[in-house]
Amino acid sequence: MTANAMPRKAAAPKQALAAKIFHWVNLVSLFAMMGSGLQIYNANPVFGGRAGYHFPDFLLLGGWLAGGRHWHFFFMWVFGLNLLWYGIYVFATRRWKNRYVASNDIEAIRKGRNPKRRNYAIHRLIYTAFIPVLLLALLTGLGMYKPVQFAWIANLFGTWETLRIVHFTTIPSVLALMVAHSLLALNVGDWKLVRSMFAS
Amino acid sequence: MHSPIRIGRRKLIQLSGLSLLLAGCGRGTWQTQIEQALYRASDPLNQSFEQLLFSSQRLAREYKPSEIQAQQLLINTAEDSTPMIDPATYRLKVGGLVEKPVELSLEDIRKLPYRSEIINHVCVEGWAAIVQWGGLPLVDLLKVVQPKPEARYVFFRSVEGLSDPSGNAYGFYETWDLASCVHPQTLLAYEKNNSPLPAENGAPIRLASPIKLGYKQIKWVTEIALLATLPEKVGYWIDFGYEFYGGL
Repeated sequence: MTANAMPRKAAAPKQALAAKIFHWVNLVSLFAMMGSGLQIYNANPVFGGRAGYHFPDFLLLGGWLAGGRHWHFFFMWVFGLNLLWYGIYVFATRRWKNRYVASNDIEAIRKGRNPKRRNYAIHRLIYTAFIPVLLLALLTGLGMYKPVQFAWIANLFGTWETLRIVHFTTIPSVLALMVAHSLLALNVGDWKLVRSMFAS
Repeated sequence: MHSPIRIGRRKLIQLSGLSLLLAGCGRGTWQTQIEQALYRASDPLNQSFEQLLFSSQRLAREYKPSEIQAQQLLINTAEDSTPMIDPATYRLKVGGLVEKPVELSLEDIRKLPYRSEIINHVCVEGWAAIVQWGGLPLVDLLKVVQPKPEARYVFFRSVEGLSDPSGNAYGFYETWDLASCVHPQTLLAYEKNNSPLPAENGAPIRLASPIKLGYKQIKWVTEIALLATLPEKVGYWIDFGYEFYGGL
């Protein structure tokens, strides 16, 4: 961008097409995984077994257990491969160097007096927190999908029950991160930033 | 030997669709269509992925006797009544694409090799239970009957009786890929948690294995047939819409 005599008007935020595609696919596949995951959950609730709390129909995808599994084991590929290519992209374009929360952000959160800088730092922290949660969902899911072939995952978590609980807790974790991420995005960059991530 | 009931694919889909409605799921056909489309798109890939991961020689983890979770093994059957089989007159027919078809009594089965294993039994519903199974490794039975080279699948029939909406009785049945049948931990079990197999768990003989989901582990087995191709009717739950492979 050339230097202009009339600056001070911030340019509209722009996102790389790859980032937009990743963002969309991730969002859609996550909701598909959560809806179908709750359908599977309902077949035998993690908490309380058959007598436990069942999630209401409007939150579920798939109509019945086998249908929920069909959704889940279709979108696991969409979700997993999307995450993989995001990883390759972030690594190959060296975005990993400045994309994630760093010590100066932690500094800003703890001591910063500039509220904008502070919000920005929190935004980066939340964004970074998505990565381990999404990877954990994938790891525990794989551990339950193939407990014999990936015995090391099941063993890592100790018991089958722990594996189920951890896999389930990735849902509230992701939802909480989504809410925080959306609110902070609005706070940091207004509607313009949010729109730039979904459309042009 | 009965040959697997052959019905057309269209009939099968109608039948399973009808059963779903009868099961009271109360959902629109468009939902079913989406599920089916996703299933058709991903199941071949998933099956290849599962078969790629699977090795007939990789053993599933086995547990200590103190780790058995006797209370956690739930009973799932396709119908409410438990078949009662007289052990004295029971015969297991093994035929199809084999060199030496046999008919075995329980006594004959007990004379064949025995294996005991304490494994994690995983249900499609999400629960799991550590359970001890004892019985004849299926691979040892296959050695006796000698499958022909073209055999690729193993069909099992149970005496569990079922009726369709018009009241016609048909049996409970299941088909496995041969590679999973020769896995050393796949048993024709007649023992559960160091006691004789109870009737509700499939006495006198059931399939038990740590490498497949519970719905593949057919109870009250009376007949085994080796096949070259997948039969038109693959398995009771599979024909409802559950995955054929169901591997762990």
